Amino acid sequence: MTTVVLFAQLKLRLMAGNLRGDLQRKIGFVFTLVAAAGLAALGFFLMSLLRLAPPDIASSLVIVAFSAFLFGWMVVPLMAFGLDDTLDPAKLSLFPLGTRRLAIGMFTASVTGVWPAAMLIVMFGALVGLASGAGGWLLGVPAVLVQFALCVVTSRLITTALSSALRSRRGRDALALAALFVVLLAQLPNLLMNGGSGDPAAMLHRMAAVLRWTPPGMLAHAIADGGALALAEVVSGALLVVLLAWLWIKVLGRALVTSDASTQAAAVRGESGLADRFLPDGPLAAVVTKELKYIRREPRYRMGWFSALLVTVVLSFSLTRTGGGVAGLPILLTSLAALLIAMQSANAFGVDGRSLWMNAVAFGSERGLATDLAGRHLAGALIAVPLLGVVAVATGLLTGHPAAILPAMLAGWGALGIGFGVGSVVSVVLPYTMPERMNAFSGAAPGQGGVAFASSMGSMMGIALLTLPFVVPLLLGFTWVCVLAPCYGLLMETLGRRLAARIGFARTPELLAAVSKPTGPVV
Amino acid sequence: MSDAVRTHGLVKRYGQQVAVAGVDLVVPSGSFAGLVGPNGAGKTTTLSMITGLLRPDGGSAEVDGFHVWRDPIEVKARIGVLPEGLRLFERLSGRELLVYNGRLRGLPKADVEQRADELLAVMDLTGAAGKLVVDYSTGMRKKIGLAAALLHNPSVLFLDEPFEGVDPVSANTLTEVLRRFTASGSTVIFSSHVMDLVERLCDWVSVMSAGQIVAQGPLADVRGDRPSLNQAFLELVGSSSTEGGQSLSWLGSGLPEAGER
Repeated sequence: MTTVVLFAQLKLRLMAGNLRGDLQRKIGFVFTLVAAAGLAALGFFLMSLLRLAPPDIASSLVIVAFSAFLFGWMVVPLMAFGLDDTLDPAKLSLFPLGTRRLAIGMFTASVTGVWPAAMLIVMFGALVGLASGAGGWLLGVPAVLVQFALCVVTSRLITTALSSALRSRRGRDALALAALFVVLLAQLPNLLMNGGSGDPAAMLHRMAAVLRWTPPGMLAHAIADGGALALAEVVSGALLVVLLAWLWIKVLGRALVTSDASTQAAAVRGESGLADRFLPDGPLAAVVTKELKYIRREPRYRMGWFSALLVTVVLSFSLTRTGGGVAGLPILLTSLAALLIAMQSANAFGVDGRSLWMNAVAFGSERGLATDLAGRHLAGALIAVPLLGVVAVATGLLTGHPAAILPAMLAGWGALGIGFGVGSVVSVVLPYTMPERMNAFSGAAPGQGGVAFASSMGSMMGIALLTLPFVVPLLLGFTWVCVLAPCYGLLMETLGRRLAARIGFARTPELLAAVSKPTGPVV
Repeated sequence: MSDAVRTHGLVKRYGQQVAVAGVDLVVPSGSFAGLVGPNGAGKTTTLSMITGLLRPDGGSAEVDGFHVWRDPIEVKARIGVLPEGLRLFERLSGRELLVYNGRLRGLPKADVEQRADELLAVMDLTGAAGKLVVDYSTGMRKKIGLAAALLHNPSVLFLDEPFEGVDPVSANTLTEVLRRFTASGSTVIFSSHVMDLVERLCDWVSVMSAGQIVAQGPLADVRGDRPSLNQAFLELVGSSSTEGGQSLSWLGSGLPEAGER
């Protein structure tokens, strides 16, 4: 019992310590509290409203919801790994605690918190909404508790089993990308719905039929059933929890004595020398080579590119379905893709962060910075230009306007050039630190959220405004304007780059300071 | 003898706090100079201002007679820098990092590659040349950072705590390279708070305390007739030997406290 109290206190202390002295975090925490309380209340209310729905739909919904909860518990802690110290057994391995006490303690720590409490409340809402008869109520309470324990233990088992991989650099790199796939997965039902493959009720039943025999499905069914079968389902769920807990303790025992293998990394692939083949030897070729490597190796770049592409694909699918008749759609979509790709260049030095000094001590004049920007743009263009070509062709064919492919392609390239030009100016005017570990909640160091917001809004509006001169005529049907778009884009890129080099070189120290801010408790 | 580095009244304030309060640092050409001082004395801030990474609030700095803030092209071509914190381009391999640095300064690729391979061999990093810098240990990072700072053959080298967290073998490699570098007439300025090391390596010492230079000159002059530089340093920065023996009376009793097992 003391262990339980001790670890609950530890978690609360960690939460309190995280808030100390920082107004923004305090506001964030209050926001989290309100959001969690609101979600708990709303979830409880909605779940209990299921009583009014037809019983089959209600039970199907709860089955899906319970499965989704379990999935959430499996995935979210992986994303938060390193943010919550009580998740990582290595942080606790030096304390003289037996494995059993550690397991109890870590279990306590993971159920202590706002979100676990909120979820428990929502699941009790399901009990109110679904329970039928005395048996349902009687078995429903243990069913909900078993489901809760199942979520916690499964999540613990997964994080512990993967903890050594998660602590390594490679593991975290892979995870950063995995986060995107989770986002895509979350979009999938939406896309399918848009696809119009049958009515929602039928789809719900089909999903529920599959999930019915998974542990969370069985527990949800137990609440609705309330008979002998329900008893068997709750008991088997509980047995599963015990089994998983036993497995978890075994894995925990091993994780505590296994050393960290993250420094034994393999060598990277050699240089492809792509940039050297068509560029003269010099700083420009060096920057292009480095940038191409960074786009391939740096998870923040990979995330940026993948999400730009992802948003384009999702938008293309939903827009072509709903408004396929508009002839200008390929032009709009390709320009949008160019905007999304170019937006990454709006904080060009943010990813370099504290290593930017290496450039700063090498650049003696504006020309150095201009070369750096040109190299970054060239590297980006090497990937973006063919990519935008593909987007133009794909959207042109999907919407059934093959005639729009060429204008769309040219417009996209023009927008890309404008994006790079605007991006380079914004990079030197509103630079901010990008945290090494991206998460969904912040894309900037503490205290720089406002700058980050201004940076992305400013660059978005700037790019949008500057693309209007050719996008509007194109949409109005003056197709010949598209020939000018790439030239106009190139001009804007050159002007932007020159201006940025002038502003940026004069304020090099300020630029360095802005992108080298500490990014919070996680190092 | 001309001066490799000369500053006049360098000042840096962070809000109310004055980090550097009028530093007049002088380092003669060809010397192996140590900038020593307790934590928070302003060593890193001073070095950052001389290397053009931080804008001073007042005063001026010259490297080889060129004004750091008015003549950056001349200055930046002459200096090599290894700042504290060891942040390098993490997603390049060690060799790629060196090649990038050299080419960024306009050296031809073939020359850079040859120099990089030689530096990697001297630093004993050939085996790790293909690994990403993000996977390097502290000692390896210091060595690759030093290699990057040396690659364009600067005449003045600024190193911020180059030996901190470095194992004895790597430290030995570093000192060998630096000794050879200064023997050819180039200048090294490094900050440290390890007095033994400074005493062993340096022929010129500048002592900083509370944002100011409190003593400066050839090692023998600064040390005076005291037995060690450490002694001189403690007297200069005004440390009082602690008498807090009583408050730690429990320390060293040997048995762990009784507790819940």
